[in-house]
Amino acid sequence: MNKFTKKTNSPEPGIEPGRTQSPWVAGLICKMAVMMVIIAAACWARVHLNDKTEQLAREKSRITEEIREKRTEIQTLIAQRETLRSWENINAKIRQYNLALRAVNPSQVRYMKRFEGQVSAPSQYGGDTRVADTSAGADRTSGGVH
Amino acid sequence: MTLFRSMAIRMALVYILLICGFGYVTRVLYKVQISRHDELFGKAQNTYTTRIETHGTRGEIFDFGGSLLVGNVPTMDIVGDPANIFILNKKDKDKTETECRMIADFFEKHCENVKSDEVFRRLTKRSFTSKDADGNTVERDCHYAVIATGVKYETAKMLKEKVKELAFHGIAFTSSYRRNYPKNTMLANILGLTNFSADTFIPVQGIERSLNDAMTATSGSMVYERARNGRPVTFTNSKSEPTLDGYDIYLTIREPLQAIVEEELDLMCERVKPHAAWAILVDPKTGDVLAAAQRPTFNPNDRGTMTPESSANRLSELALEPGSIMKPFVVSYALDKGFVTPNSMVDCEQGVWKYAGRLLHDTHNVGKVPVTEVIKQSSNIGTAKISVMMGAKNLDNALRSFGFGQKTGIQLKPETSGIFRPLEKWDSLSVSRFCIGQGIAVSPLQLARAYCMIANGGYKVNLRLVDRIERGDDVRVMPVVKETKSIFANPTTKKMITDMMIGVTEAGGTCTEAAIEGFHVAGKTGTAQKVINGAYSNRYYASFVGFVPAEDPKFVLLVTCDDPTVGSRYGGSASGPTFKAIAERALKYMYVQPQLSREEWLAERSAAQKALHERKVREDALVQARREARDRQLKEQQAKQQTSKKTGTTVASRPASSNSKSTTVRR
Repeated sequence: MNKFTKKTNSPEPGIEPGRTQSPWVAGLICKMAVMMVIIAAACWARVHLNDKTEQLAREKSRITEEIREKRTEIQTLIAQRETLRSWENINAKIRQYNLALRAVNPSQVRYMKRFEGQVSAPSQYGGDTRVADTSAGADRTSGGVH
Repeated sequence: MTLFRSMAIRMALVYILLICGFGYVTRVLYKVQISRHDELFGKAQNTYTTRIETHGTRGEIFDFGGSLLVGNVPTMDIVGDPANIFILNKKDKDKTETECRMIADFFEKHCENVKSDEVFRRLTKRSFTSKDADGNTVERDCHYAVIATGVKYETAKMLKEKVKELAFHGIAFTSSYRRNYPKNTMLANILGLTNFSADTFIPVQGIERSLNDAMTATSGSMVYERARNGRPVTFTNSKSEPTLDGYDIYLTIREPLQAIVEEELDLMCERVKPHAAWAILVDPKTGDVLAAAQRPTFNPNDRGTMTPESSANRLSELALEPGSIMKPFVVSYALDKGFVTPNSMVDCEQGVWKYAGRLLHDTHNVGKVPVTEVIKQSSNIGTAKISVMMGAKNLDNALRSFGFGQKTGIQLKPETSGIFRPLEKWDSLSVSRFCIGQGIAVSPLQLARAYCMIANGGYKVNLRLVDRIERGDDVRVMPVVKETKSIFANPTTKKMITDMMIGVTEAGGTCTEAAIEGFHVAGKTGTAQKVINGAYSNRYYASFVGFVPAEDPKFVLLVTCDDPTVGSRYGGSASGPTFKAIAERALKYMYVQPQLSREEWLAERSAAQKALHERKVREDALVQARREARDRQLKEQQAKQQTSKKTGTTVASRPASSNSKSTTVRR
C-alpha cells in the first residue's frame, strides 16, 4: 500500500500539511540548479575572457607589427635625412645653384637673452658662458655656413 | 542449475576480461604518464611550442651633437620555399617550373644583382641530400632558397604587394638590416667598417672594431605555446629573455669641423699632390678629438674604393720621424728647468756643425741668435746645442714627459706607441738628433697630444674620441683623463714657449702663411726626411702644427703632407696655408672673437716686419764691418809683406779671421 496516496485526516509524521512534494528533493533541485548556473557562468566567463584575451593578443600583435613597420620606415627616413644633410650633399647643392653663401663673422654672433642671468652657449660651440647682449643689432643669431 | 553455472562462468570471464582490460589500461597509463612521461611530454611540447630568437640592432655611431655617422638601414631578404611551391602546385612538375620561371623573371626585373637563371635553378631544387646522426645519407625537402638579399625596404614593400597580387607561392620576405655610412668618405678611416656574415657583424677596423663589444646587441628569445594558426596561446605559460640593442656611440667629433677639415685637406691634395695627407683638430683642455681626416681615404658604402693605402689608419698606426716640430718640446723643457732663457744666445754656427763625428746642417745659415730665434727660424744646430747642454737624461725626461713612447689613451685600436729607444740604448749622436725629430718615430696622435700639453700649460691629457655611450636611459660618459700636475715647474714656461711659437707665423718666421687676421697663431713647421729602406730619402713629411688663439687655445691643429710633389716641400709652404684655412673656418664655427682688431693686427705685423728689417740691416752692417775689417787686415798684411820685401825681412802672418768660420765666406 502506498501510504502517500492514502487520504487521511491525520497528517503523517514528517509531512507538512498542504505540501505535495518532499522538501529535500526541492532543496536538492534548487541547489543543483544554482550550482549549474554558477558552473555555467564560470565557464562562460572563462570562455569569454579567453576570447577577449585572444582578441587583445591579436590586436597587440597587429599593433606591434604596425609599430615595427613604422620604426623601419623611420629608420629608412633617418638614413635618407642624414645623407641629405651631409656636407658633401649640401656643398654640391651650393655649387649647383651657385649660392653666394659666406661664413658668418664671429663679431656678428650674439646670444639672445631668454631668461634672467647668463645664457650658456651650446657646449659643442665651446661651452663658454657669455653675457647676453641685448644692444642694437645684438639679436642676430647665426646658422653658420661653413 | 546448468543455466546458473553457465552464467557464473560467463560472468567470471567478463570480470576476468574487464580486469585484464583495466590492467592493460593501467599499464599503458603507467607507461605513458610515468615511464615515458618526459619523452612523450617533450614530443608533444615540440609540436605545439615555438621558440623564436629575437635579435637586437647593433649600436649606431653619432658625432658629438647627435648627427648620424654610422647607422642601420632596414633591408629585406627575399627567400623561396621550393618544396612548398611544388606542393602548392599539386606536385605538377610543369606547372611548378612555369611558376618558378615567372618568379625568377619577376625578381630579375625588380632587384639588383639577381640573375633569373640562378633563381630558377634554386627554386626548382626541391630536395637535397644530407647525412643524419647515424651517418646515413638522407634526402630532405628544401625549404630555403635565397632569391635576393639586402633589398631596400621601400622596394621590398612594393615587391611584397606585387607578389601578393600575382599570387606567387612560397615566397617570404624576412627583415634584416645593413650598416650604412650616410656621410660616405667622411671620417671613414676612424669609423672603420664591418662585414656581415651569417647574421653577424664582423668588425674589421676603426671604432667599429675597438668598441665592438659595446655596440653588439644581445640576442633574446621567446618560447610560447602556439594555436593552430601559429599565434601564441595567451593563457598558457610563455618564457622570454629580453633582447638588448647595442650601445650607441657618441664621438667627440664635431661634424661641421670634420667637414671643414676634409674639404681643406682635399684642396691641399689638389694643390701639392702629396702621396698622403692628414689633419687632426684637438681641444687641448679636454683632449677631445674634434676632427680627424686623412687622404687617401675610402667610401665604406662602396668597398671597391678600398685599397691597403686608402684603408690604413695613419693617424694612430703610422709612426714617422716628425722633424722640426719636436723642437718646442726640448726648448720648453730647457726653459722650464732654467738651462736657457728666451734671450740666451746660441751660436748656430752659420748652418754647419760637427758633433760626435757627424755634420749637422741647417736649411738656412743662422749665426749667433737668441733662443727665441732658434724656434722662429727652426735651427737644427741651435736646438741640438741646447739639447747637448741639457744632456741625454734631461732630453729623455723632456720627451717622455710629453708622452712620446706612450699611447695617447684614445679609444682606437690598434694604436702605435711610436719608436723611442730607452736611454740606455742611446748612442752618442742621439742627444743631438732626437731633439730635432730624427731617430725617433711618433704617431700623429702623439704629436697632437704633446702640443695639447704645451697649449694647456703642461697638463698631460689623454686623447678622447668617444664622449659617451648610450642605450636608452643608460648613459655612460667617458671621463676626461687629465693629470692635475703640470709638467712645467715654472708657470711662465707656457708663455715663453708660446711667444716663441707665435714668432714662427710672424715676419721672419718659417711659416708666415699660417698667420690669421685678428689672432696670434702659435705654431711650428716640420720638414722631415722620409726613411725608406733604412736610409733617408729625398721625400719629405711636411707638417705644420699650432694652436689658436695662442693665449687661450681653442684647438690644436696638426696638418701633415706626406711627400708633396708640386711646389715647395717645406712644412710652412705645403701645410701652412691649409692650417690657416682650417683654423680660420674653425674659429668662425666656434664663434671665437678675434683678439685684435684689423688695425691692431696689421700694426703688429708691420712692427714685426720693421723689427725684422732692422735686424737684417744690423746683421748686414755687422757682416759688412767684418768684411771691411778683413779686407783692411789683408791690405795691411800685403803692405807689410811689400815693406818686408823691400827691407829683406819675411813676416809670416795669417788673417785673424781665418781661424774662425766666416759668415760671409759661407754665404
